[in-house]
Amino acid sequence: MADKSKGIPNNFKMPMRRGGGAAMRAMMTVEKPHNMLSTLSRLMKYFKNQRLMLIMLLAAVIFVVICNVVMPAIQSEAIDLIAERQFGKIPAILMIMLATALLLSLGTLFQQLLSRTLSQRIVGLMREDLFDRIVNLPIRYIDNHPHGDIMSRMTNDVENISNTVSQSFSSLVSGVFTIIGTVGIMFWYCPRLALLSCITVILTVLVTKFMSKHMRRFFTKRQELLGELNSAVEENVVGYKTVAAYNKQEAVIEDFNSTSDELTRVGIVAEILGGSMGPIMNVINNLGFIIIAAFGGYFALHGIISIGVISAFIVYAKQFGRPINEIANLYGQIQTALAGAERVFAVMDVESEDKSGSREMDGEGVVTFKDVNFSYYEGKQVLYDFNLEVRSGHKVALVGATGSGKTTVVNLLMRFYDVDSGEIMVDGVNIKDIKCDDLRRGTAIVLQDTVLFSDTVRNNLKYANPDATDEEMERAAEMSNCRRMISRLPNGYDTELTESGCNLSQGQRQLLSIGRAFLANPKILILDEATSSVDTRTEKRIQDAMTNLMKDRTSIIIAHRLSTIRDADLIVVMDKGRIVETGNHDELIAKKGRYFELYMTQFEGNAI
Amino acid sequence: MFKHLRKYWFFAILAPLFMIGEVSMDLFQPAIMRTIVDEGVLGVSSGGVGNLSLIISEGLKMLGLVALGGASGVLSGVFANMCGQRFGNDLRKDCFRGIMSFSFEQTDKFSTGSLVTRVTNDITQLQNLVTQCIRGFVRTGTFLFGGFFCMMSLHVSFGVVTACTIPLVVIMIAFFLRKASPIFSVLQKKLDRVNSVMQENVAGARVVKAYVKEEREKERFGTANRELIDTQMRVLTIFAYMMPLMNIVMNCAVVAVIYVGSIEVKAGAVTPGTIMAAITYLSLILHGIMMLAMIFQTISRGSASARRINEVLRCEPAIASGSFSGDTSVHGQVEFRDVSFSYPGSGGEAVLSGINLTVNPGETLGILGSTGCGKSTLVSLIPRFYDVTGGAVLLDGVDVREYDLKVLRDKVAIALQTSELFSTTIRENIKWGDPNATDEEVARAAEVAQAAEFINSKEEGYDTMIAEKGMSLSGGQKQRVSISRAILKNAEILIFDDSTSALDIKTEARLYDALRREYAGVTKIIIAQRIASVKGADRIAVLDNGGISACGTHSELMETSEIYRDIYNSQLKGVDIDG
Repeated sequence: MADKSKGIPNNFKMPMRRGGGAAMRAMMTVEKPHNMLSTLSRLMKYFKNQRLMLIMLLAAVIFVVICNVVMPAIQSEAIDLIAERQFGKIPAILMIMLATALLLSLGTLFQQLLSRTLSQRIVGLMREDLFDRIVNLPIRYIDNHPHGDIMSRMTNDVENISNTVSQSFSSLVSGVFTIIGTVGIMFWYCPRLALLSCITVILTVLVTKFMSKHMRRFFTKRQELLGELNSAVEENVVGYKTVAAYNKQEAVIEDFNSTSDELTRVGIVAEILGGSMGPIMNVINNLGFIIIAAFGGYFALHGIISIGVISAFIVYAKQFGRPINEIANLYGQIQTALAGAERVFAVMDVESEDKSGSREMDGEGVVTFKDVNFSYYEGKQVLYDFNLEVRSGHKVALVGATGSGKTTVVNLLMRFYDVDSGEIMVDGVNIKDIKCDDLRRGTAIVLQDTVLFSDTVRNNLKYANPDATDEEMERAAEMSNCRRMISRLPNGYDTELTESGCNLSQGQRQLLSIGRAFLANPKILILDEATSSVDTRTEKRIQDAMTNLMKDRTSIIIAHRLSTIRDADLIVVMDKGRIVETGNHDELIAKKGRYFELYMTQFEGNAI
Repeated sequence: MFKHLRKYWFFAILAPLFMIGEVSMDLFQPAIMRTIVDEGVLGVSSGGVGNLSLIISEGLKMLGLVALGGASGVLSGVFANMCGQRFGNDLRKDCFRGIMSFSFEQTDKFSTGSLVTRVTNDITQLQNLVTQCIRGFVRTGTFLFGGFFCMMSLHVSFGVVTACTIPLVVIMIAFFLRKASPIFSVLQKKLDRVNSVMQENVAGARVVKAYVKEEREKERFGTANRELIDTQMRVLTIFAYMMPLMNIVMNCAVVAVIYVGSIEVKAGAVTPGTIMAAITYLSLILHGIMMLAMIFQTISRGSASARRINEVLRCEPAIASGSFSGDTSVHGQVEFRDVSFSYPGSGGEAVLSGINLTVNPGETLGILGSTGCGKSTLVSLIPRFYDVTGGAVLLDGVDVREYDLKVLRDKVAIALQTSELFSTTIRENIKWGDPNATDEEVARAAEVAQAAEFINSKEEGYDTMIAEKGMSLSGGQKQRVSISRAILKNAEILIFDDSTSALDIKTEARLYDALRREYAGVTKIIIAQRIASVKGADRIAVLDNGGISACGTHSELMETSEIYRDIYNSQLKGVDIDG
């Protein structure tokens, strides 16, 4: 609101200090950008294509500033005329004043409309750019950064930039011009009085600096506590079942209360400090007024200036006190926004995943791993000399303990990560040479952690293949055994899935994502623990359906449950990144090796 | 909600009182200014000769008043914040306490996301509303009426000008607010949409990439982004028109004041200083009106928040605690007596029906059944996560609804399907089971749960911090930490709700083996998909279509239950059973 009042002339500029503390707060939680200039120049690139608009905006701002500076002059002229009792000239000068007011309003309107369009365009562009980069981020980056952190670039940082661009740009420009214009006119009227008025400016700057240093501490602390509180609520509400199961309500409430109390304590101090800025500024402004009145009166007595000039000075002094105040606030806000921009650019600067490769994938889907070595982190190798060939139409199973490297194989085949050495080939072509999109389109994966989108069941199933007919979709649903479950949903296929809702169990979500993979009609199908929460009979039915679907295609299955993989053409037993055994079920059982051991544990069951 | 506010009535009265102090100082100020200009500078009464000493003395007087007003304003802020923030604090605590006593039915109804915003965002809105209203109304009122009164006292004609202007401005503000406020809620929704598309893409990056849907996602995001921008544009457009229009009106008022003033000066009724004072008062009045606009904006947002918070506060816990102290002769017996259950809002379709089953102390019961058949629902009736819709669940011979809720849940330890860990150290997470446990006991529980090995391999061992939602641990590791926690609780009844699904068979076997050795006397209920997980149980219940289709030992079921055989075959077929 304080910024919105920028177009109001003379005395009517009232920064809403006590009411809207937003700008104040922004100032207090300032973050310093590391490299202000380069970030700024990068940010400026977004303005490049908006040059015309920028020029128009600048013109509008200058126009408004001029009107703002002229208004008090006319007003003082009018009062002078009254004081000199030249009443005849008054209507004319008032008409000029009205005309100026009209121009001022028009200029303000124009300026606000322009800055609105400009800021929204830029922020829109920036959001799209950022999102564009995010969908192209390498999986490695996403795996290694907290999702909340990546998210906050979009939600907090871009929002911050948006607010700053839309609110501060005009006020900054107009503030600077107002100061220059006002000071200029003041010096033109009377240099001595102008110099004296500058005392208040220095005072304002000093006080702002001093106060903000102290306030920043409390506002930062408050921000931290607020974050703490938010994550406490989130965690405990999301994990409420566990909280209740362990009777932890009282302990959790106690924790929450102490954070909440601390927040309140800090919050009160912060707000009081912030709130005292207004009165202090008020005192300084009035001090300025007295200085002007006293010295102005003295000068007037000696005939150096006229009465009208004093009245103009009073208005001007107020007029330039405001932008100084505002710019002091803006400075913090802009710094925070720049720090945000820096974080946004940091994500944009992450190299996109390497999707080079130009060859089509038109073979039958023979997958070959040749001497593959891989490590996620240097020094912690996950796969050692991995060699494997999966023939078309075959079903290969990977088994082994947690951490034996099964999922890594999938990550490499999908090019989520690239091998350190060795090569992976599909139909004899190194996957690095195949068009990445082709490779992925030809390969469908189902993961243990099911990802469904907040959309209808229909659109989720058709995710990979939006052109599929409803019959095809229903067939896929039938095959993945989720047809009955869908029919029980309130709106069937048109039920909207939400984060928590619908009482879908983990198993049911898995069935849906299997249906989605079936509908993708892939050459290679990968199931990574895709049925861990599905009961074995349902799983059996899915597998029977799959056999038909994948008749001439390749499937790779990862599972802890050996029943899931018993029918596989080839079972690969892995241990600590190496293949220890291969063969089909019967062969491996006969061998009485590692697989046999695993199988027997399962068979014996657990003597609980 | 108002009872929360009543507690701070003292501050709620002091704050506006001091505010009146501040505002009246503001109102005095133009009058003194007039004296300074008229008498000090212009020397109106002394025939055009200024009076420097008057300027100084009046100036100091003014400065004193301003300082006094400022101090009064600061004090008003102190009290308003004491009232508003403490009120918010109480409300926040009550809300959180309320949520922590909700039944799951209720949390499901609200959805977690909305509960989080209610406790955080909505409370802040309301707190701001209180702090702002306490002072704002008084301030605005004093500015409006005081300003008007002062204008009148300066000269009636100025009062008339003001009287004409104020309603005009108020109508304008009302008009704009009316237009803008519905867009605000749309704006919030559009913003949520952009965030949720973003969130899905970060969390589901693998799926997006695997199906090569980057373009589609960009399009989806683009649409959400455009909608957000369009909405934001609409809001900004409204405000773009609001200010210039107010400008015009106010400037017209200034012109009118000067014009009227000139006539009055001509008639000798007022002095030029009076005109200047009048202009200052006009600016105060405008200030008041703008504050009013802001207050109404806060109120319209705050009342939505108040509604949402009230929904939480008014929500009586659907599961009321009983009074039974848990002093029973048997320990660890569970009986389902003719139990039926349907989820609220599911249209009454029964998830469970006609369940009769007794689990004896020290017994191990396995539960098998197809996806979505109600296994988890069945066990969640024991610690009263949900209440039965028919029949009864008895623990140690007493209906669970008669138990003191705390006692009941102390008797039961449950490791859930989705293992929820909290962002603190591994040790603290495990110690949820028993806050007084020694480090040795924690280590022993982790040992049994087969978690000790991976924990010890971490650089900081048990003091390793668990990142948000346990993202730094693999699924199997999370499950083992949550099992350790359940074991440490040392309850009469231990429930594993498919909580070993991410463990490989050998690890799972070691876990059950250790559990049997160390906790033989505890009643165990184990839900699983793998026959192996439950095969060694004393009895296995097979759930099908919301009922128990068979119950018995492995060998009994192999003979009597076709479903069980079917499950068994689906898993173990192909091997000579006797071998």
